[in-house]
Amino acid sequence: MVAYIIRRVIVGLLMLVAMSFIVFALFMKNPVDPAQFSCGKNCPPERIEETRHALGYDQPLVVQWGNFLKGVAVGREYPADEKMREANPELVSECAAPCLGFSQQLQMTVNEEIAEAAPISISIAMVAVVIWVIFGVLFGVLAAVFKGTLIDRGVVGGTLFLYAFPTFFVGALLINFVAIKWGIFPAPGYVPIAEGGVGQWLLQLMLPGFTLAVVYMAGYVRMTRAFVLESMSEDYIRTAKSKGVKGGKVLFKHALRAALTPLVTMFGLDFAAVLGGAIITESVFNYYGLGKLAVTANNNYDLPTIVGLVLLLGGLVIVANIIVDILYAIIDPRVRVA
Amino acid sequence: MTVSEVLIQGPDPEVNPEPSESGEIAGRSPMRIAMDRLLSDKVAMICAGIVLLFVLIAIFAPLLCKLFGVEVRAGDPVTDTDSFNYPVIGPPNYGFTWEAPLGLEPNSGNDLLAEWFYGARTSLLVASIATIVSTVVGVVLGLIAGYSRGWGDRVVTFVTDLFLTLPFLLVAIAVSPMLVERWRDNPSMLDDASLIALIVILSVFGWMGLARLIRGEVISLREREFIEAAHVLGMPTHRILFKELLPNLVAPIVVSFSLSLPATIAAEATLAYLGVGVTGRPSWGQTILRAQNWFDEYPLFLYAPIIGIVVLVFALNLLGDAIRDAFDPKSFR
Amino acid sequence: MRLKRTVIAASAIAALTLTAACGGGGGGGEDKTGEFKAGGGAGAGKDAEATGPVEIPEDAQKGGTITVMSNNAPHTLDPTRTYYTDSGAIMSGLVTRSLTQYVYDEKTGDSILVPDLATDLGEASEDGLTWTFTLKDGIKYEDGTDVTAEDVVYGIKRSFAIDTLTDGPTYQTTFFKDGDKYKGPFADTDAELKKLSGYEPDAGWYGGEDYDGVEADGNKVIIHLAQPFAELDYYASFPVFSPIPKAKDKDPLAYESHPMATGPYKFESYKPGTSLKLVKNDQWDPKTDPGRFQAVDAFDFKFAQDTAKLENQILGDKGAAQTMMTYDDVTPPTYKAIKEKAPDNLIEGTSPCTYMYRPDQTKIKDKKIREAISWAYPYQAAWKASGEIVGVTIEPGTSILPPGTAGRVDYQYPKGQDGQTTDPEKAKALLKEAGAEGFELKWYYERDDEQSVAKKDQMVKGFEAAGFKATPVASTDETYRDDQSNLDAPINLRYGGWCSDWPSGGSWFPAQWIGSNANKPGMPNPTNFKEADADAKQAEILKMDADEVPAAWGEFDKWMQETYMVEINAGYDANAFIKGSKVGGVVNDPVKGMPSFSIMYLK
Repeated sequence: MVAYIIRRVIVGLLMLVAMSFIVFALFMKNPVDPAQFSCGKNCPPERIEETRHALGYDQPLVVQWGNFLKGVAVGREYPADEKMREANPELVSECAAPCLGFSQQLQMTVNEEIAEAAPISISIAMVAVVIWVIFGVLFGVLAAVFKGTLIDRGVVGGTLFLYAFPTFFVGALLINFVAIKWGIFPAPGYVPIAEGGVGQWLLQLMLPGFTLAVVYMAGYVRMTRAFVLESMSEDYIRTAKSKGVKGGKVLFKHALRAALTPLVTMFGLDFAAVLGGAIITESVFNYYGLGKLAVTANNNYDLPTIVGLVLLLGGLVIVANIIVDILYAIIDPRVRVA
Repeated sequence: MTVSEVLIQGPDPEVNPEPSESGEIAGRSPMRIAMDRLLSDKVAMICAGIVLLFVLIAIFAPLLCKLFGVEVRAGDPVTDTDSFNYPVIGPPNYGFTWEAPLGLEPNSGNDLLAEWFYGARTSLLVASIATIVSTVVGVVLGLIAGYSRGWGDRVVTFVTDLFLTLPFLLVAIAVSPMLVERWRDNPSMLDDASLIALIVILSVFGWMGLARLIRGEVISLREREFIEAAHVLGMPTHRILFKELLPNLVAPIVVSFSLSLPATIAAEATLAYLGVGVTGRPSWGQTILRAQNWFDEYPLFLYAPIIGIVVLVFALNLLGDAIRDAFDPKSFR
Repeated sequence: MRLKRTVIAASAIAALTLTAACGGGGGGGEDKTGEFKAGGGAGAGKDAEATGPVEIPEDAQKGGTITVMSNNAPHTLDPTRTYYTDSGAIMSGLVTRSLTQYVYDEKTGDSILVPDLATDLGEASEDGLTWTFTLKDGIKYEDGTDVTAEDVVYGIKRSFAIDTLTDGPTYQTTFFKDGDKYKGPFADTDAELKKLSGYEPDAGWYGGEDYDGVEADGNKVIIHLAQPFAELDYYASFPVFSPIPKAKDKDPLAYESHPMATGPYKFESYKPGTSLKLVKNDQWDPKTDPGRFQAVDAFDFKFAQDTAKLENQILGDKGAAQTMMTYDDVTPPTYKAIKEKAPDNLIEGTSPCTYMYRPDQTKIKDKKIREAISWAYPYQAAWKASGEIVGVTIEPGTSILPPGTAGRVDYQYPKGQDGQTTDPEKAKALLKEAGAEGFELKWYYERDDEQSVAKKDQMVKGFEAAGFKATPVASTDETYRDDQSNLDAPINLRYGGWCSDWPSGGSWFPAQWIGSNANKPGMPNPTNFKEADADAKQAEILKMDADEVPAAWGEFDKWMQETYMVEINAGYDANAFIKGSKVGGVVNDPVKGMPSFSIMYLK
């Protein structure tokens, strides 16, 4: 068991390192000048040269990558060029570990940007997760219980139909009708708990949360349905039934519990993904979370921010993967042997 | 085996499928059985019909335009739009007319039906090529990983996991301008470049699921007697892979293909919304992008391509489900 | 293929494609019939006596935040580099005070020039070569330190560093003493001077702090000129003439992240391309300012917003949307809807800009062919295809000078061309006369912008119907501007726009049609127009007395077009933008073609 965990963590770390290198190679060795791409759309030529020095883009790729990894591990200072730091000590920016980079355009570290945007993404993710898990499992169980009936087909088909709509369209539809036309929800705009209290915060998250949830709901309905049906046909359930245990109790005490393990793991992976920002949902609703930050950075030619975000999101997924795999290994011995 | 594999393969991958359905029909191949099941599935057949219809529309877009008497991108803003740039004929404001069955595009006066036909063409073209490429890549890598024990397996698995961790949308919007950048010096090539870039991005991020699936299947198949036998007989590896193993993998490949095609179509629209799209030719994603402003006042502009995507994606998903069910009798319908 | 939704929005592009920013445009405004009024006289738009404070209207509520959204983002907010309409309106209206400023006069619907930091509009010496501005007392920066004449002088010196601080206005390099030699305070060594573009060892270039073209004397700013510059008082309203404390300018390119405020609002946070939050500057004294007030607590600018969404929100006018507004031109669907539902929330007005197609004089040599283009160009179709609403965001244009320019002469050339008539037959006849049937027209369009493509399609149709051979050349969203200003570009027709910097032809003709600028890299003379008699006429006008100048430019406009047919007028820019019902004091400032942020409040 311990050996498995250690192995899994090592592979995960390796993957993080490999991913960072690939991302670096991808963005630094391409036809677009990374300095230009870091300095903004309307960057004067003189600034590009300066940016190259300040971010250390004038050094070989491997050195840059090494510096980056070092920054993640112990933090670093910008500008990367020592002479530039000495010349203007008051312009030096400290970037504490884990340092994900420095945006020359915004004159702030990527960590600071992330710290600003993350609460919004996390909020949306939490609301979305609650909606999709509750409804996903509920509908899934419903469909399983009424297997083969109209309810089953309706639930599965309905969620699949919703799933077929492009997310941005669902979001735009909700904004236009539910918020603007009918005024059921306030016009979208993120309100932190500190400003508007939990109620206001939650209210403003309902529409984006729902939009995001629609994407995942169909998968959970189908997964729940399949696993519940699967376990319902297992011997121990049949035994319980034949022993006269009531239908509801069989369902919740035995069948659903068996379905829970795979659901929880699937949930872990999905949650890590949405935690890193829902690009479309945040763009449609104009919430400055990590997803919108990424889109804006890409628009504005802010390469360090993009690189930092890609690594952050990838890292989140890798970490979630490790956690889930370890949990799973504890629960399901099959995993370990393979 | 990692968790994701368990999830991808469904509830219990270890249990071998195909318990005898009924003893009397002997000698039918699993493929044949699946086909029979599929053919008797009404929903699946309706969906297949819809998909076929879309494919025909895509192939015969120019012919259909002629048939309806519409022309792609031939609007005249002066005669076709009013002083608010709204079209002067066609639905929704002026009632149905055969001249413009879906109405005209505001501003330019281009015909929306023609735009829709050609849009279907682009969307299906992009999605099919990308899905085919990613399927081929997935199968090949899956075979390699599954059959080669040791380093080959480890490397492929590592790469697969790596691609699964990269945030798709983010990398796509960041990388596509770089791909297109190569043609910057030759802007007349940009249209094709944008198309190729889109296909490349969709393919590169589409193969991982299948590769894992195939690898799992191969691992369980390679211990079987017929492979052992082939091995002992000295059959070359590539023959074993493609002549012996591949035919046994048709089911997962078909299922995966039919489920990733709709996902790719949806992804095309989503990427278009984020600005990564094909230029220079009509596509549903691009029409949606232009129609956003007209959401409220001229909804048909937006709804036509949306309905196209929703119907096609929904039908393909249902069909994919049906195909999976047909191949896997353990699923519960 | 880069995510460029920011540029897709119909007319937002307009503001960007114009090559220069806009000041000027003394007259203008629209009367009830929707036709342009003729502009006022040269001196009509000035009031050297104006004093503060400006009264806050009675229906204003205290405090609140006005949210301003735009599909675009300002290019830069460095005061020295501020030369676009959006950045100019934000900085001059709210943050930086210059020597002079424009205020909106409700009675006439005009903007007039009044003092700002200076006590008057400046005094010119007898020979017109020295100008003196006296600063008001008690002006402070946001941090409470005093504004000195030295700071204004430093700001002006800074504007000579056009290689470092690009894209700003450049009149100082033409008119100021040693303007062609002085290179700003940053390039203070030979090595650094050598790095500047166009360096020649014998040109006598110099840099650093020592420059006697501008000097501070107590609270006076004294400017020495190389040639008379009768319109310097207008130019002094640009943020170039705002004080910049040298101590805060350690990294000149980073100064834009927080320029020191002297106006009623200061930067709280600025994220280039994304957002700008302005809050009250408590060091600003309303009594010294005849043009601005401080009614709301904050301005929240949000850039790169989705046009459809922002319009829908403002149109819905619910909750927070009531305090929102945009300065983007309205799109056709929203225009129709708001006209019907809430016409009070739609603001229409003029902007002092002209769009033009510019035949390269060295490539399209026959005047008849150039005239033929003006009959072949599909005005209406091109406007509509690119999402313009004719009569709302664009007006058919005739003279080069837009309505509202002092001394403008309204004429039609070729005869009967009212700026929107396409007549292929006339074009064909002219081409036949010139013996140039099938003449090939080549121009750039943006491959990755759907509206640019749609417009190109219409142009091809129009040109071919008139007997031209039409060859559109693909460019991209990102490279379009660079491609067009490339001297060796494989095209013979360029598209562009120009806006008044002040309300007279002086900010038009010498800036674009001076022969010495022809055939130079960067296309400072976009038509490569070089005719000795035209140059002589311009030189003559520059020497005239201030009150004769505007009319002379008006006549020159007509003469140049009739004699050489230098431009095909593709319309005057016009504005139409929307706001929430609670935002008050929103008027179109005809000088900038932007909303008047300085007098905005919440009801």
